Amino acid sequence: MSSVDLIIPLLIVAPILAATLPIALGLRFERTGWPVAGLTTLGLFGAAGYLASVVYTGGEENHTLGGYPPRYGIELVADEFSMLIVLLITAVATGVLAFTRRGGPRGNTFYTAYLLLVGGLLGISLTGDVFNLFVFLEITSIATYALVASGDGPEAAVASLKYLILGTVAASMYLIGVAFVFMATGTLNMVELATAIPAPETNPTLIRAGFAFITVGFAVKVAQWPLHTWQPSAYQQAPDGVTPLIAALVSTASAYAFGRLIVTVFEVDYLAATPNAAAIVLTIGCVSVLAGTVLAVIQTEVKRMLAYSSVSQFGLVIAAYGVVIAGSSETALIGAAIHLVGHGLLKAGLFLGVALVAASYGARTVDEYAGLAKERPFVAGSMAVLLFSLVGVPPGVGFVGKWYIALGAVESQLWPVAAVIFLSTMLTLAYAARLLEKMYFTPPAVVESPHATGAVATDGGDADDEESGDTDPTDDIGTTVPVTGTDTRTVSVGMVAIVVVAALGSIALGFAGGTFADLLEPFLTEVFN
Amino acid sequence: MVEDIRPLAAVLVSAVAIALIVASHRRPNLREGWSVVAALAKFGIVASMLPAVMGGDVFKWSLKESTGIQFLPGIDFALRADPLGIFFALLASFLWIFTSFYATGYMRGLDEHSQTRFFASFAASLSAAVGIAFAANLVTIFVFYELLSLVTYPLVAHNEDNEARIAGRKYLTYTFFGGGVFLLAGTVMVYWLTNQVGTPTTAFEAGGMEALATAAQAEPVYAQAAFFLLIAGFGVKAALMPLHSWLADAMVAPTPVSGLLHAVAVVKSGAFGIARVILEVHGPGLIHDLPLDVPGIGEVGLNIPVAVVAAFTLTAASIIAMRKDHLKRRLAYSTTAQLSYIVLGLSMLHPAAMAGALFHIPAHAFAKLTLFFCAGAIHVETHTDYISEMAGIGKRMPLTMTAFTVGAAGMAGLPPIAGFVSKFYMLIGAGVVGGSYWLFAAALLLSAVLNIGYLWPVVYTAFFESEDRHDAKPVLEFPRGGLFRSYGGDEDPVAADGGEPTDRTDAADASDSEPAAEEEFEYAVDQNPSDHTVPDADADADVDTDADTDSEDHISSVDHHGDHDDHLTGGPPAAGWQRRSPFAESTWLMLAPIAVIATGAIVLGIGPDYAVFLELAFRIVEDVFGMPFEDLIDTPLEEALTGVND
Repeated sequence: MSSVDLIIPLLIVAPILAATLPIALGLRFERTGWPVAGLTTLGLFGAAGYLASVVYTGGEENHTLGGYPPRYGIELVADEFSMLIVLLITAVATGVLAFTRRGGPRGNTFYTAYLLLVGGLLGISLTGDVFNLFVFLEITSIATYALVASGDGPEAAVASLKYLILGTVAASMYLIGVAFVFMATGTLNMVELATAIPAPETNPTLIRAGFAFITVGFAVKVAQWPLHTWQPSAYQQAPDGVTPLIAALVSTASAYAFGRLIVTVFEVDYLAATPNAAAIVLTIGCVSVLAGTVLAVIQTEVKRMLAYSSVSQFGLVIAAYGVVIAGSSETALIGAAIHLVGHGLLKAGLFLGVALVAASYGARTVDEYAGLAKERPFVAGSMAVLLFSLVGVPPGVGFVGKWYIALGAVESQLWPVAAVIFLSTMLTLAYAARLLEKMYFTPPAVVESPHATGAVATDGGDADDEESGDTDPTDDIGTTVPVTGTDTRTVSVGMVAIVVVAALGSIALGFAGGTFADLLEPFLTEVFN
Repeated sequence: MVEDIRPLAAVLVSAVAIALIVASHRRPNLREGWSVVAALAKFGIVASMLPAVMGGDVFKWSLKESTGIQFLPGIDFALRADPLGIFFALLASFLWIFTSFYATGYMRGLDEHSQTRFFASFAASLSAAVGIAFAANLVTIFVFYELLSLVTYPLVAHNEDNEARIAGRKYLTYTFFGGGVFLLAGTVMVYWLTNQVGTPTTAFEAGGMEALATAAQAEPVYAQAAFFLLIAGFGVKAALMPLHSWLADAMVAPTPVSGLLHAVAVVKSGAFGIARVILEVHGPGLIHDLPLDVPGIGEVGLNIPVAVVAAFTLTAASIIAMRKDHLKRRLAYSTTAQLSYIVLGLSMLHPAAMAGALFHIPAHAFAKLTLFFCAGAIHVETHTDYISEMAGIGKRMPLTMTAFTVGAAGMAGLPPIAGFVSKFYMLIGAGVVGGSYWLFAAALLLSAVLNIGYLWPVVYTAFFESEDRHDAKPVLEFPRGGLFRSYGGDEDPVAADGGEPTDRTDAADASDSEPAAEEEFEYAVDQNPSDHTVPDADADADVDTDADTDSEDHISSVDHHGDHDDHLTGGPPAAGWQRRSPFAESTWLMLAPIAVIATGAIVLGIGPDYAVFLELAFRIVEDVFGMPFEDLIDTPLEEALTGVND
């Protein structure tokens, strides 16, 4: 046993310690970052896989740091819920690292921040202590600020600063909440809190205040409307190779932590009895679904569009938490867990695709994606699969999460929530279809040329015909946009393969709806008695 | 239930073909060969199951039992070849064989772009359609229903121009609203309701799901909501009003798509889904007994609103069709109307009406496919899309227009075409129930008249008019309500109106369609005579084809895809239509399928007992009601329905 439970702290400590190596060794040797990061990530991936196989066959694993009793010390817990996130983190981190080998960014500072980020994320997933959770949230955030700021130009610095300010406020909110809860109960361990919070001698006002602060803190971290404003610019300005990592993992880990606090710390029954708790969480989620989509539809930059899409997709997860509270719905919790994993995978794949397109053609706006399908059939095809999966077309992973969340809402008879979840399919389609139409059914646009007026004159002003000038490139003298005739040396087959693997993975997970439920079953029976 | 891989094989055979089609994109003959091979294989697999299914067997394949993968808790990803599934799969796979020949001729005739994508999507559509046919539960049918929306989208947006993109957007919006919102919501409701009375299930059961019937006793409102959500979800693809308008816009797609998918496979998957819901999810008994309280009328069965919507759709769509000059759009509205026949027949709940409705699926498929094939052949050969430009085209395309006549008669339900048989049974059903159902019977009869009203003019103008002597088209060209003037077109209208100063002002006041009527004789082709440089009628075939290919290049660079530019390229050449023999009017790739499908429509009409579909339809109804069809006709409806759940 001991060897297994030692893996848990190593999963966190190894990347954080390894994070110092690229910089330290970098003083003497030029290229140490890549082997250190690569070996560490591979090790984490393997260890996470092994740990997962132990947890899913033998049940929960604990490790008490330093042997101190949980009341004072820190406990690390690997159970069925957290292992899902750990697997997602290590898998995505491996994929993204492989991608950046060729696609960039590279350099020792990047590898340091990368390893720090992975360590922080794994810490968030595995910790069993609410204060320790704050520490890992901060480690993650600091690494993310650094990575965002490493983007090109002053915009990246501004985006990073914005994120820094909002992220710190959010973390403080969370810390204040934890302080209230600590005041009321005198413990910081999640399991002990779970017994202390419902106890009759605990002051419910402090707990409620604590939950309120924690909710607001996570609403910022998860980027829920209207507290999402840091997120689109951070995603957009971060280097292309970094965005997949941030988009897939950072908010996901925060959302996981929020869910963990709801089901393990505060517990569903207690929150259900708390006035307005369910209503507030539901409202945040549902409003974010709607607002996020509307904002996504009106974007011109692909990265920003996908960033707003994250706002709405995390809205679904938060709404699912609301359903969990309001209806004690196990189904909705399964849905939230699957959607966290599914969305992480989808966004990683999509942002990798975006990075690939940007690297090969410099195309960043939706319009510039015109004709991509002919130039890069595999990337366009993978992105199409991922987008449709995001919309919720079966058998993609997006459908599975949506099925459970919707079923949970229906079982709890929360009809407005159910309506929002069903409609989210249409809303997601609105921006997904926009991109698809550009990639597949729009010939590469031509640059405005002074002679273009000729076409208008012959067409005699018929509105339908405006396009005919565009559809027939031979008529035009203008040159085509960067989509053709650009440097493709920067893109390797391996980079394309990673995007394709993400797309295939999203379909494979689409058939795993029953498997997910089976894996989570022991956790659910424990949480919901 | 017999475990068998064949239902899966029937679905996957064209999915495999996709890979082969894409792989052989550089060799068109091989690529189209794969389409044909896949179509034959698919039909062969489906047909091989037919005898056993007729004998009462049901073939089943389930993901859980073959691989151990549970798709969702309590829900298996399962395929099942039962009579109803075989019915639809047989039809779709049989017609695909001929459509793949036709599509080859059509796409090559027009020298279309992106043919590989076209044929790959086509094969994928057939996979999804057969998946819908064989789906064993609501979740599986939902999966294929969504996939079908997805893979037909590239076909609708095929032209990559603005019109096609807008049509594609509309198509995705409507179909995903139907599938992703209504159908998914209904499925979740059914799952939730059955979960309350036992283990959750969404599996189809002949006569209705028992668990759902039990749950409906406790939660009648939610059971009703589930019913209407499912009907709305499938109703989008079945083009029930007010969810129909995507269908007419989807006609920008190449004609083989409009023919097989938007008259048979896709739209009928909607009608087929409604059949599944009425026959095997809620079941006729539950639908009839769950009272819906309508203010002012009292309690009615759940079927009545559906029937009313269908009756309205079939009347309204027929009327709209009369005013469409674009042939494919007219056919699209005709499809909207005819699909509502199926829905109406099913929702009348009487066994005879149901059998008629089910038989109408193949009856309409054969006739409508003929009509679309004809429209496509006319388009490829002459680039004519508008009915007003088709005067005298019977000379140029005798076989095509003869087949068109057969199809038109089938639409109107005239014997001996298949449409008569289905309509006959539906009328029997309506008549036996009597009472307010006479209204539905009246709608069916009225629609038959309207069918003649919108399709006969095409036949008439093709055979009995000539390019320089034809009547005006009052319904099309005149303002609504008509004009006080002679409809005869043989006199020069200007000369006839000659000295009357009042008439001048009349003409000026008349609607904008009036000038179009006067330009009738000034064909745009006259201004572009290079389109039709065929020197003499007696020129030999080689010269003909050369000339055709020449004009081909020129025209395809203009546009030929259904927006109003078509007026530039359509219509008779300057010297009038050539007279061609039925065998030389087009390529055999297109003529043979037209002839075969039209013959099929007649065969179905003359000997429905010998063509397998009617027997299958009876068998499906017998399974639902649990007694022989002969007895069912005589049994009063109430009594028959109580027998359903036993």
